[in-house]
Amino acid sequence: MTPAIETRGLTKRYGRARGIIDVDLVVEAGQIFGFLGPNGAGKSTTIRLLLDLIRPTSGEASVLGMDVHRDRLAIDRRVGYVPGELSLYGELTGHQLLAYLANLQGRVDADYRDRLIERLELDPTRRIKSLSRGNKQKVGLVAAFMIRPDLLILDEPTAGLDPFVQLEFEHLCEEARDEGRTVFISSHQLPEVEHLCDRVGIIREGRLLAVELIADLKGRALRRLEIHFAGPVNADVFAGLPGVRDLVVRDGTLRCTVMGSIDALIKTAARFEVHDIHSIETSLEEIFMAYYGSGGGTEPDAVREASHAAA
Amino acid sequence: MLLRNVFAKQVRDLRWPTFWVSLGCGAMTAYFAILFPSYSKLFDLNSMLEKMGPAAKLLGASMGDASTLIGFLHIELFSMILPAGMAAFAAGVASGFTAGEESRGTIDVLLSYPISRQRVVLEKWLAICLACVVAAVVLWVFAIGGAAISASALPGDRLAAALVMLVLIGLAFGAISLAISTATGNRGAAIGVTIALLVVMYLVDALSAVVDGLATIRPFSLFRYYMGDDPLRNGLNLGDAAVLAGVTVIFLVIAVMAFDRRDLAA
Repeated sequence: MTPAIETRGLTKRYGRARGIIDVDLVVEAGQIFGFLGPNGAGKSTTIRLLLDLIRPTSGEASVLGMDVHRDRLAIDRRVGYVPGELSLYGELTGHQLLAYLANLQGRVDADYRDRLIERLELDPTRRIKSLSRGNKQKVGLVAAFMIRPDLLILDEPTAGLDPFVQLEFEHLCEEARDEGRTVFISSHQLPEVEHLCDRVGIIREGRLLAVELIADLKGRALRRLEIHFAGPVNADVFAGLPGVRDLVVRDGTLRCTVMGSIDALIKTAARFEVHDIHSIETSLEEIFMAYYGSGGGTEPDAVREASHAAA
Repeated sequence: MLLRNVFAKQVRDLRWPTFWVSLGCGAMTAYFAILFPSYSKLFDLNSMLEKMGPAAKLLGASMGDASTLIGFLHIELFSMILPAGMAAFAAGVASGFTAGEESRGTIDVLLSYPISRQRVVLEKWLAICLACVVAAVVLWVFAIGGAAISASALPGDRLAAALVMLVLIGLAFGAISLAISTATGNRGAAIGVTIALLVVMYLVDALSAVVDGLATIRPFSLFRYYMGDDPLRNGLNLGDAAVLAGVTVIFLVIAVMAFDRRDLAA
């Protein structure tokens, strides 16, 4: 089957500012793919290259098996896109904007569009400039989903959405996948997409570091734990446990970082009287730091080693 | 429905600016047409212009005959105010066609739908053409109406010829502005450079009759082709019209090609 997205050596240099370097990315059709990386890592640059809004310095990219530049119109008929910095014609109402975009698209199933409006609880009679960020985002989502695209490219799509709408958005993505369509979501927050994505690509400082199954990545999530015991405990009991790092025990309070499963630590802690447990899942940035180093230009070998060590 | 395509949307966006520009130009023209008989009774404009000598050239009054309404309109409006106004309107609007969508960020969504960049530029361009034609037609109607009120003679065909040239020079500057804005994405630069060019070209044309050296570069001024052959007296000069249209087409092609090649602002 033709991959939904395929890039080979895709590079975009901007003078001194970093673009993306030598990105080889394959996104198979029929999955929800998370494109993860800190702000400024090159997510939007990659996406805008895929949409032919900017042109690569070198390398090539294809979407749905077609060249992103040569076949742009054919691609755009089958791709729905929500930009990261979503900006819509503020003077139009939601209805008017969707009508305009539907006209540009050619044909849109009006019933489906209305169902989307209902499900996302969008008020389409209001002018877009009077809408909150989250409501604007809904208009963008309806515009992207209403054309029933084979590929959805969503750049940080959940920004500003309230939890209910976020949930509905996730249902929409899952429905799209179940119909064999592909969803490509960029995010800088792992928790936002981890339960949604089948697979994630991690980009940092313009380089694609790894593409992994979400299950593997989650297994390696870092967690900061703080356990308050009834009385003093001996640090040595916890020191050798698998995955436990940065252990500090003082006055009956244990602090540490756990890589992967926290099972062993919890079972050990259960031997003592526990008053309280705090668990903080670390941000994606911290996982990047832990697994992919903090310096720029991480070598692929180092990445593999890190993955191996963590597995 | 005014949202059927990019052209229709642009027409919709321009409906109020076009309305006000048309009304402004029309009202100004009607004002002069209505008051013309009083002016010509109060002042002997021709002898005044003669006394001003070369200074009158600067005001573009080099060719007008102030004893007729059409000559009076030439001096008061067609020599400077109307072409400057029409050019500023077209240049200002055209500068925002793509650069405006880029700075607002709407270009990302627009171009994620199946419409080519060339088409976006051309459809938007057609909208400003329509707006300029509408303004010219309104101006014609107001001028003829004003002349009827003051019972002054105003030949409609020669007025129409001048309006054709007015639209053409407006669009020529509009196309220059469009080319700069699509090539750079910088709306301010497009307006600034175009207006500067307009002022220089105006001065070159107006002064070329009194300053010897300027005659050689006069052909580079679009104003030479605009009223050079006095369409208000002689009717439409197709050669001059073709020069203005040709300049427009050249810059339109540059605009389309430049926009097609560029990385668009995020």
